[in-house]
Amino acid sequence: MTAWHLTRQQLDDYADGRLDHAMAMSAEAHILDCPRCRAGVPADPAWIRAGWAELRDVVDRPRASLLERLLTRIGVHEAAARLLVATPMLYRAWLLAMVVVLGMALATAYNVNGGTLMFFSLAPVLPLVGVALAYGRWVDPAHEFTSVTPMAGQRLLFLRSLAVLVPAFALCLVTALLLPGHGPGWAPVAWLLPALSLVTGSLLLSRWVPLIMATGLTGTVWTGALVSTVLHHESRFAAAYLFTPPAQALYAVLLAALGTACIAARARRA
Amino acid sequence: MTTWPSPSGIVVSARGLTKHYGDRAALNRIDLDLGRGVTGLLGRNGAGKTTLLRCLATAHDPDSGSLEVLGHDPTTAPGRARVRAQLGFLPQNPVFYPNFTAFTLLDYIAILKEVGGRRARHDEVRRVLDQVGLTDRRHTRVRRLSGGMRQRLGLAGALLGEPGLLLLDEPTIGLDPEQRIRFRDLVSEFAATRAVVLSTHQTEDVAAVCDRVVVLDEGLVVFADTPAALTDRARGRVWSLPERPSTGSTSWRSPDGRYRVLTPHGAEPPAGYGGIAEPLEPTLEDGYLLVTGSAEGTVAA
Amino acid sequence: MKLFRRARRVPDYDARSSDAELLSAIGAGAADALEILHRRHAPWLGARLRYRCADPDVVDAALQDAFLSIWRNARTFTPRTADGDAAAWIWTIAIRQLVSALRRRGNKWIGDAALESYEPVGDASAEDLVLVGIEHGPLGAALNNLSPELRLAIQATILDGLTVREAAQLLGVPEGTVKTRVMRAKARLREQLT
Repeated sequence: MTAWHLTRQQLDDYADGRLDHAMAMSAEAHILDCPRCRAGVPADPAWIRAGWAELRDVVDRPRASLLERLLTRIGVHEAAARLLVATPMLYRAWLLAMVVVLGMALATAYNVNGGTLMFFSLAPVLPLVGVALAYGRWVDPAHEFTSVTPMAGQRLLFLRSLAVLVPAFALCLVTALLLPGHGPGWAPVAWLLPALSLVTGSLLLSRWVPLIMATGLTGTVWTGALVSTVLHHESRFAAAYLFTPPAQALYAVLLAALGTACIAARARRA
Repeated sequence: MTTWPSPSGIVVSARGLTKHYGDRAALNRIDLDLGRGVTGLLGRNGAGKTTLLRCLATAHDPDSGSLEVLGHDPTTAPGRARVRAQLGFLPQNPVFYPNFTAFTLLDYIAILKEVGGRRARHDEVRRVLDQVGLTDRRHTRVRRLSGGMRQRLGLAGALLGEPGLLLLDEPTIGLDPEQRIRFRDLVSEFAATRAVVLSTHQTEDVAAVCDRVVVLDEGLVVFADTPAALTDRARGRVWSLPERPSTGSTSWRSPDGRYRVLTPHGAEPPAGYGGIAEPLEPTLEDGYLLVTGSAEGTVAA
Repeated sequence: MKLFRRARRVPDYDARSSDAELLSAIGAGAADALEILHRRHAPWLGARLRYRCADPDVVDAALQDAFLSIWRNARTFTPRTADGDAAAWIWTIAIRQLVSALRRRGNKWIGDAALESYEPVGDASAEDLVLVGIEHGPLGAALNNLSPELRLAIQATILDGLTVREAAQLLGVPEGTVKTRVMRAKARLREQLT
């Protein structure tokens, strides 16, 4: 420790850049070794505060999860990524159930004659279940808190549905590609149009009834169609009629109509 | 964009507000005008406090009647959006995602409240964390926070975005006495320029922070004025007796061994005790018991 | 992700803790310890950097980068003295961030290549020690008599402990020029002192 110290005047002059070169260099050499004089160098408190605010913004922000970082990496806005990751608790259970059910459908397809139809009957409903569990008072513990925020309602619902539909469709597609290969070239995506129609129909309905009820209704419509086709033709293979090109054309028209209605409803609201 | 604060200083205005759950009227044709400052909602469970707050918070649409919050009609879509943009709501027993940290949770709510860009949002989260004294716990997961801390976290969530109207449903539950005082401080400071409506069971909360008190009973407004006026309702009707009277009043034993007696029907001492009854200074609680009729409810006992 | 999180215990610290204690807390992720360190060191670092760069925005940016670098590299600090003082270590980081900020600004095409190691460059040289208490001796007058280019070359290489390459970047001249200026400056000083 050095025996001498810089005077108050010298410290102020140094901080203001008023010392001559030799003095400044001397002061610097001293300051580096002397904590007391170092602490005496004056600085604008506002400058320190602003500097720390900048630093804190980087060093003290909540950790982004791996998924969140991945989403931002592929161009999702940081706020949207956080919303997508904050899915209700049943999300993971649903994802797991989805894998299990699809695995079972796959096993059936390989072991039972005509078993692929089980997959095609289930595939449109599985994403729907995910959507039902994505938003609302029954599945989101913080719903009461979040439902009265400006973002709540349709916008959050669409975002959450997206978080459900992307993995759901990916899983269904993978399963479809693993099915024992027969049928025409578009067979692996034969479930896609009915699935999209059901989801779009539910989202449209959710403007008037709770989401869980809306998905229940559309799910029932699908099941009803399935059961009545099978009963009408008195053959469990008859479910295949629901995936023939004419049926697909019907879904396409339905989807277009529902989509238009969704957009129209949204525009009218805004 | 907003007309608030309106020239009259009215933040909430309800006319004939009605809300039913099945056959039961949770709110029965309520007329109410609330201004800046703190309004306390008092009433027993099921009196309609939570329903009223949820209607103001745009969580419920009333069945009938008109409602204006911060100058907008929350029953229409555009009005609801405007109200939500200026609203802070703390629900009763708020539940959060247990795996979120306090910071992440508030960040999440701030996104939903559309608070600025990332930087402004994080600064806002830090501000409210500091206000409720949770800065040290900002990186603690919600499931590791105590009940009082979660309550404060909920309050922080309501404070995000500097709302013009703060709606708090039972905000002091789970707070220890020190936190309760800090809470009152926070609410008073906030209400200096804006409006707070809080529901509570605690008459002390009302006496400590509220400029106005609204007493609800069975979906009706039975009192709406200052806390002092509520206390005054009991003036001359509180007595000290050496023994429990047999009829006509509510009574309970005080620590000094005498009985505190409320006489609901008039400023006369309880019948038969004319000479021995000593008049007592009324409290807010006495006034509350009188206007809700709780003072009569126990008469027969 | 839970999988990758190591259980890190943050050591206790407060505003009176030594730099070494603060740095060990910072290394464990304590942002508040960095705030204390920032409040303690930013004033003199800012003043000293301003003697080397006239643009306050560049100085501020360099200082921010220095503290971010400290945040990320706090664990690499090894105290050299018993009191755990980290001023020399921090200064080395700060001056190099200034060099880097100036390089980014002046020659964008160089890009910001990784900085060399943050280890302080050698111990205080003989000249360094002479500089302490300079103002009263003839060396002070001699330094003030040096032309600005020569003085800055001495300052960068001797007082700031920069390598010739870094000094060249800081001063915006070729490395060879720095070397000749340092030699000429030393010769001039020797001349004036004898």
